[in-house]
Amino acid sequence: MKNYKHINMMLLVTICLALSNCTTVEPWQRGNLAKPHMALDPNPLQSSLRTHLYNSREAASGGSSTNGGGCGCY
Amino acid sequence: MLRVLNISKKTPTKHQLEATKQSTSLYTLTMAARVLLGLATSPAYASDNDEVNLQFGHYQEGERGISGLGSEKIKSKFHPIQSDNMHLSAKIMITDQVKGEINFSQDTWSGASPIATAPSSFFGNRDGVSGASPYIVGGLKLDSQLKPVLINQYGEVLGKSDKRLVHTLSGASPETRKQLDVKLSREWDEFTLDLGSGLSEENDYKSQFANMAGHWEFNQKLTSLSAGLSFTTSTTRAKLDHDATPYISGIYDLNGVNIYNKNNNSSQVKQIQNGGKVLQGNREDWGTNIGVAQVMDENTQIEASLGYTHSTGYMANPYKVVEVAFVNPTQICCGTASGDSTALYAYDADVRALLEQRPDVRNQGTLNLRYAQHIKATNAALHLNYRYFQDDWGIKAHTFEAEWAQPLGNNWTITPRIRYYSQNAADFYTPYIVTNQAYASPLMDPNGRGQVFYDASNPAGQVFFEDSPGSGTFSYADGTPIHQTIIDNGNVTPKFTSLNRKKLPTHYSSDYRLSGYGALSGGITVNKQLSKVLSLEVGYEYYKHAGGLKFGGGGESSYANFNYSTLNAALKFDLSATGSFSGGSDNNYSDSHTHYDASNHNQHTSYTPAGLMFDHMLSHTGNFMIGYRYMYSHQAGNMRHGSNVANNQAILLHGCNGNDCYVKPTNMNMHMHMLDIMYAPTEWLNLMIMPQYIDMNMTMSPPNGAPLSPDGMGPIGSAIMHADHPHTTGGIGDTGLYAMFKLIEDSNQHLHATLGLSVPTGDTNIKLRDVMQQQLGFIHYDMQLGSGTWDFKPSITYTNEMNNWSFGVQLSGVKRLESKNSTGYSLGDEMQSTAWFSRKIVNNLSASIRGVYTWQGAIDGEYSSHIPVKIGPMDYTNNYGGHFLDVGLGLTAVMHGGSFDGNKLSFEWLQPIKSNINGYQLERKGALAASWSMMF
Repeated sequence: MKNYKHINMMLLVTICLALSNCTTVEPWQRGNLAKPHMALDPNPLQSSLRTHLYNSREAASGGSSTNGGGCGCY
Repeated sequence: MLRVLNISKKTPTKHQLEATKQSTSLYTLTMAARVLLGLATSPAYASDNDEVNLQFGHYQEGERGISGLGSEKIKSKFHPIQSDNMHLSAKIMITDQVKGEINFSQDTWSGASPIATAPSSFFGNRDGVSGASPYIVGGLKLDSQLKPVLINQYGEVLGKSDKRLVHTLSGASPETRKQLDVKLSREWDEFTLDLGSGLSEENDYKSQFANMAGHWEFNQKLTSLSAGLSFTTSTTRAKLDHDATPYISGIYDLNGVNIYNKNNNSSQVKQIQNGGKVLQGNREDWGTNIGVAQVMDENTQIEASLGYTHSTGYMANPYKVVEVAFVNPTQICCGTASGDSTALYAYDADVRALLEQRPDVRNQGTLNLRYAQHIKATNAALHLNYRYFQDDWGIKAHTFEAEWAQPLGNNWTITPRIRYYSQNAADFYTPYIVTNQAYASPLMDPNGRGQVFYDASNPAGQVFFEDSPGSGTFSYADGTPIHQTIIDNGNVTPKFTSLNRKKLPTHYSSDYRLSGYGALSGGITVNKQLSKVLSLEVGYEYYKHAGGLKFGGGGESSYANFNYSTLNAALKFDLSATGSFSGGSDNNYSDSHTHYDASNHNQHTSYTPAGLMFDHMLSHTGNFMIGYRYMYSHQAGNMRHGSNVANNQAILLHGCNGNDCYVKPTNMNMHMHMLDIMYAPTEWLNLMIMPQYIDMNMTMSPPNGAPLSPDGMGPIGSAIMHADHPHTTGGIGDTGLYAMFKLIEDSNQHLHATLGLSVPTGDTNIKLRDVMQQQLGFIHYDMQLGSGTWDFKPSITYTNEMNNWSFGVQLSGVKRLESKNSTGYSLGDEMQSTAWFSRKIVNNLSASIRGVYTWQGAIDGEYSSHIPVKIGPMDYTNNYGGHFLDVGLGLTAVMHGGSFDGNKLSFEWLQPIKSNINGYQLERKGALAASWSMMF
């Protein structure tokens, strides 16, 4: 029984961590997160140009969130 | 901030400085408040600001090695692949909740790429032979283990098995791809819906796509979920490489029909005129992805997403072939080597090139993880990304990326980056194939009547047999002799059995993209915020592809290695920043600024036509202006000579200087994108730099009665055949540097002189690709990207503005400062005079009418080396220049106030009215100019 409790607790903690409902970052604590260089894609112009090149050079091109057409397969 | 300071003609007063300070701090406070209230952008996604971006980039591949005999590395004679690209984008808040985004991008590339992979002893690149077109059909000597033996170029066996492979490279004339896409986003409190659509076009590949995505932020905006769906439909319509087509072998079905793609119903090869073949294929892709982004703590956020793409249709590359060595098992062979008596070879193989065959279904899945960590000590951001990819072609790939975004003082940010990618080979990847069968062998009669023959003029008719070997007389199966005319006309043709398709793999490709390899790349991005409005971004990356870099080893050998580097520069305009300074009604100073603009003569707001350059100067020291100008010109229809239409007979007789004319141009389009960056260091002097990006295409066709090629498929014949598909060029053009001097200025009138220098940054060295092992030399003069010479470009401009009216005149010229460029010629000098009137029709909008008279000289000199193969009037230098009279009608809008304050947008159509041209040229149909500029 005790073991199960432990496992349940661990599960709960995992879920908590996964959803991060446990952490609360108040709006006034989000200054760092709002900085442009902290965006998940800090230089979108650069990354889209690079992605275009990788797509025409590498097999693993599909399946990303970049939706675009064209081959440009030089 | 600059903008506010700039209002005062001299030193700002104390009051003004204070106001500036106030407005700056107000801006900062507002932004801080927005961040605090969580109103600013969701941390995970991009900004909500109105913005315009312009980006230019260059891609340069390193030379590829083609191993020759011995161990020395031989570099290919072809130019490596290079590409110029341009990207324009604008994001505008249409209403408070609706945001629109538009993107336009284009690439133009040229250079050599691998068409096939072959054993080194096959000598696919025929290095040392004049001309350098690839050989993809030939013979190969194999040992008893079916491994190629080392031979020299003359087929003499020099040694034992030689496992080295080499890419067979094929050149390419320039090609251009353009893509336009739009996106609309609707925001609700916590939910955003994106709808997007676009199209991409290149000569041989067209693609249309639509997508939708939703983002849902919850948990006090700490968590966001997103899901997307996309659909793409693409069409390949590729004219098979005319250099290679005659050598691409078919696979024949029982009826003798060439079936290039037995395993794929989504594509087919069609015969077209001039012996060309077109491969047509369709493809559809459905993609979905779901993701979750989470703020972990005040310094960390992560995102995880899953993607799945289902593709059906033609997914092969129409320009790639696979070398197949056919080993006839019945051959009695072979023997001794002249160079090395111990190196015996067992088989003579017949090497054929087959179009690559890929499956027509592909399912791809990806897992993406992104992690961003703020580093307090240096205020940096560490980004770590990982991507896993797997598909049902047997490819698994891993990508690791790390970035360190480091803000420095003075609004600089530098971001070094490193990336590693590794994939294993697709199941059907093979450098080349050895198959134990003949490609084609004579069909033998199962009833013992020997070889089977048929009548070439009637392929569907009865077959017949030779009465006895060598007799020269033939009979049908029932013993009736065939008609003598079949023999007399030389139509007796042996039937061949085609290869057994089942002995080949179902799918095969030797595209290096499907091989096992790794790629390591590193680069840096440098951002500099020049003002609230403008920031500059420069990016560089070096990329190395190598079999040896594959994770866990076992990658393709080094022949396939290559590297590239890319450099790009972007200007980013934050239009919201201009609005937040001058548009807010709570900012009294801005109001007075607007008033100032309206009541004073401000050159920037002049309603000049779009096609006019150097039309105004900045009014105040320290002012900046950024502009983007697009010009399109179109020529089509009749050929003209002097002031008249030229008929085909005249063109054929005189269009090519007394030489034969084989083709005439039928359509020519030029698109020019220019960036104007202007700065006023003092009130009387403005400095300006104007880089440009150009692309052009031309179609040609033989006029009625045109002579046939005098040399068959020699250089002229090959050039005529190459002219059968559009010629395209594109890339960075010449760069203009200008200094403008204010001469006279009062409340209405303005006179200024401009001294300009055009720097020959545009390529004048563009050649057509080799065809049939023959050089075609340089492309037509008007399709080079620049003048190739340093040019002096002076002009003088007078404008007069009244309440609702304005008019002006301008005289300008171009003087070539060198008698010839590096390729041996110089473009003609030019003189232009223009006069215009414009009148306000409503508040911010005015209409203009303009007359333009242009004189341009013919081309001086001609291509000195690699003499171009001249096939039409556009290849003769005296068919350039002339006198031209055009009339322009235009509209100009200037924005006052709001977030677009200081923006000017104008369009103008220039209609040719009269011309007197030199020699024979294609009719000018008109030109469009569109211009946007912003001062700050």
